Amino acid sequence: MDALVVLIPLLPFIAAVLIGVGQIAQLLSGEAGESTTAIIATWAISMSCLLALALLGADLLGKNTGELNTGQWLDSDNLHISVNFITTGFNVVLAALFSLLLVIILHFSINYMHREAGFHRFFFILSLFASGMLLLVLSGNAVGTFFGWEIAGLCSYLLIAYAYNRPIAAINATRVFVTNRIGDAGFILGTGLSYAWADSIVWNDLNAASAQLSTSEATGIALCFAVAAFAKSAQLPFTPWLARALEGPTPSSAVFYGGVMVHAGVYLVCLLEPVFEQAPFAMAVLAIAGCATAIYSFIVGLTQTDVKSSLIFSTSGQLGLMFLECGLGFWELASWHLCAHAVVRGYLFLTAPSLMHNVQDNPVKLVTPAIARLRWAYVASVQRFWLDQITDWTLVRPIRRLAHDLNYFDDHIIDRVMGAPAPAIHTISSLAQLEEKILGARLDNETDEFAHGSGLAGKLTEWFAALMHWFEARFVLRSIGKDTNRYGRKLGHAANKFEQLILRPRYLVLFVFITLLVVF
Amino acid sequence: MGILSLLLWTPAAGVLLLAFTPGQNTRIIRILANLFTTLAFLLSCWLLTLYDQHNAALQFGEYFPLNPNLGSAYALGIDGLSMPMLILATLLTSIALLASFTVSSSIKGYHICILLLEFGMLGVFLAQDWALFYIFWEVTLIPLFFLIGRWGGKRRHTASLNFVLYTMGGSVFMLVSLLAISQYDLEHSGSLMTTMHQAAQDMPRYEQILVLLGFLIGFGVKMPIFPLHGWLPLAHVEAPSPISILLSGILLKMGAYGLIRAVTMLPEAAHILQPFLVFLALFGMLYGGLLAWRQSDLKAMVAYSSVSHMGIVLLGIATLNEVGMTGAVLQMTAHGLIAAAMFLLVGLLYERTHTRNIKDYSSLVQVMPRFTLFMTLTLLAAMGLPGSVGFIAELHALIGGFQQWGGLMIFFSISILISAAYAMRTIGLLFTGPVKPQMQKIADLNTPEILAAGLLVAGIVLFGLLPAPLIDLSAATIAQINQQISQRLL
Repeated sequence: MDALVVLIPLLPFIAAVLIGVGQIAQLLSGEAGESTTAIIATWAISMSCLLALALLGADLLGKNTGELNTGQWLDSDNLHISVNFITTGFNVVLAALFSLLLVIILHFSINYMHREAGFHRFFFILSLFASGMLLLVLSGNAVGTFFGWEIAGLCSYLLIAYAYNRPIAAINATRVFVTNRIGDAGFILGTGLSYAWADSIVWNDLNAASAQLSTSEATGIALCFAVAAFAKSAQLPFTPWLARALEGPTPSSAVFYGGVMVHAGVYLVCLLEPVFEQAPFAMAVLAIAGCATAIYSFIVGLTQTDVKSSLIFSTSGQLGLMFLECGLGFWELASWHLCAHAVVRGYLFLTAPSLMHNVQDNPVKLVTPAIARLRWAYVASVQRFWLDQITDWTLVRPIRRLAHDLNYFDDHIIDRVMGAPAPAIHTISSLAQLEEKILGARLDNETDEFAHGSGLAGKLTEWFAALMHWFEARFVLRSIGKDTNRYGRKLGHAANKFEQLILRPRYLVLFVFITLLVVF
Repeated sequence: MGILSLLLWTPAAGVLLLAFTPGQNTRIIRILANLFTTLAFLLSCWLLTLYDQHNAALQFGEYFPLNPNLGSAYALGIDGLSMPMLILATLLTSIALLASFTVSSSIKGYHICILLLEFGMLGVFLAQDWALFYIFWEVTLIPLFFLIGRWGGKRRHTASLNFVLYTMGGSVFMLVSLLAISQYDLEHSGSLMTTMHQAAQDMPRYEQILVLLGFLIGFGVKMPIFPLHGWLPLAHVEAPSPISILLSGILLKMGAYGLIRAVTMLPEAAHILQPFLVFLALFGMLYGGLLAWRQSDLKAMVAYSSVSHMGIVLLGIATLNEVGMTGAVLQMTAHGLIAAAMFLLVGLLYERTHTRNIKDYSSLVQVMPRFTLFMTLTLLAAMGLPGSVGFIAELHALIGGFQQWGGLMIFFSISILISAAYAMRTIGLLFTGPVKPQMQKIADLNTPEILAAGLLVAGIVLFGLLPAPLIDLSAATIAQINQQISQRLL
């Protein structure tokens, strides 16, 4: 049964490719193509859901070997990365759960997205995401998981910017993506450290080797992966990105931030349980960050006025609790919490658009007066503890200023020296040029205008080229080509003349006379 | 009669047959000529399948004494140097004929000349006897003189005369060098390349240098090496496009091929002249590149870029090491494909628009997407982009040069940079920019033209992605040459 695992991420990927190619080739477009696109996506994801369920069944019956190796992906010197999958335990449970949620949400989206401008794009991204997410939970090594991790991040970016013509959506998407990249850096670093210290990036081997790791090494690896998990699961200090991510269509919010993707961080921590167990400090960090996020999300959630925002803060709060559980060592509880939360939150997000309709005449419960009187807390809550502003102030602005300075350096010093490439389009840029063109008065030489460079390097090239051109024209082409011909012709004329002269009788007689004189 | 003779005499038989065909029957003439060139191409492909690339020695040798008193013989044979050149020659001749359907005046003479030219070119690459080599070397001149002078552009008479005078002037030096070597052939055992090789070893050092200089002038004119390239811009620009293809694709390679043979014969002299050769190579590369950059005439640009690219061949030869020599041989094939593709495409463009000034063009991608694809790929290959055969060759030459001279290769890099400048500018000016009304009704390439251009471009890309078969073809011979050279230099 182990071999099924390959198909689970592969099928949605094939669906994504089909939809993508169909759209490029204009086979799938507009309303007419909607059903085809929906069928392709539904079939592929349903099939991988069935496969995942079958795999889960086989695992429960104890028929799986636990690992499947399908070959080498990279083999360079002593770095060997194989394509392997985990086919047992929590990973399979998650794969089955996530694929089931994906099928449900996909089915929901078919009606929800009907006649939307980017229908096909949405299903393309959703299929790709399904493939990435299933690869994430099934892959047996860090590189495979990172592939899925990145695909999920990219799809999240694409769906937040679903309405890319709205500036706010585009800005938010970029911000979310960049924030997530901080976590990716942690992931890559963690992978590297695992390779260096534990000699393996296969999850099972890494966990097995964790007993041999010293506490500091285990702490290093665990902290790196913890940063990745915090970024993906929106723990402090990364929490603000989650609120920005709601720009996408509702089904995508349900699948990314309700049911599936945000849990990837908790999954990663649960996966590395033995490593974290070796690192008490990392456990403490998990507990503190989780606890802080839970409190933060609770306070901020109190003042949210729209459905999706309150849901999202409650999500991050629940995720914080999961990290707290992990940090305190209740791993089993955290994984159950994850599964239950995924189901509930997915449902809540899908019903969010109709919530107002369902709860009419049923006012929101007010907060207790004791809390309501804390004005500073209210301000802090409304401002979300100024986290965005603090990030802007400490990171974004200094980097932007540095970029500005470097740009100035590039424009004013590097470009002046090296020269900038000439634009290919020589269009008329000023009125004077237009007049000049109308009058037909080209003020400068044709060839010189053609071969011109800018900047010091460009000018040098230009001068050298002009020098070479002069040499070529003067010596190579003219002296050898033309002048030799001319002198040759002159010489020929002279020889002809001489010939004619000696054939004249008087010179002939003279010649004979001289010869006789010499002889005698 | 061996397979080499069969290959050599196929175009000659075509010439004879065409000579007795009435001149009005243009269709039959075209078909016959195409038939014979295709036959020659197929024969060379067959030869390739028979050829044993692990064997460094001469293969399929044929020997028949011609003049016992002089010692000259009809000796044919091929090795890893001539094998790729043979395929290239037959392929490019076929392509040149495919591109010649627009030639309308005196078709019979034109096709006879081209077949005669193919005969000469094949002879040069097949000959294993210096006397025979010299004869075929001169045979190529006659048809070319007529082809340029009769079917060329405006200044065709000057161009053809200039070309013939230059080449004759060069080959006189070559002849003198050959005679000088045969002075030391004490047993009068003839002018076979192998015996001359032996004879050259007995010469005093300074005579070897003089002899090599003679060869350098003889082959350098054809190649062309920097100060001797005066005929090239004019001939390339004025020749009809199919002839430009043959000129740049094969005729230039004859010079390089001859020079490699000469250097193998006289390695000590080459070693002494090494600094001079590298100066000529690097200066020629920069010089050709800068002048190509200045040209607004498309054909002139390609012509000067040939000077620049053949500098790489000279550089590879001058390294006198295995990698550099491999680079030179690869660059011969690479430039054969790239320059031929470029002249073919420029010629096709010129037939449609009747202007070669690059500034008249604009936004061609909208009307000629297929042309744009081929031309862009070719120009990218000309600047040595990885993934094209040009890159493989330049990389080998660069590594070889670096092993020999180290930091001096900065000039090599600069010349690559310049080639990128003019290639990118050409792409930009031809295909992008504002739409011009006079550039709106140009037909895209038709099927025979796509076939011709596609073959060349496919070769460029294919050998760029999978260079191993091309390298292996010459590897054994180059290793042997390198071994001979290093033995002599000890």
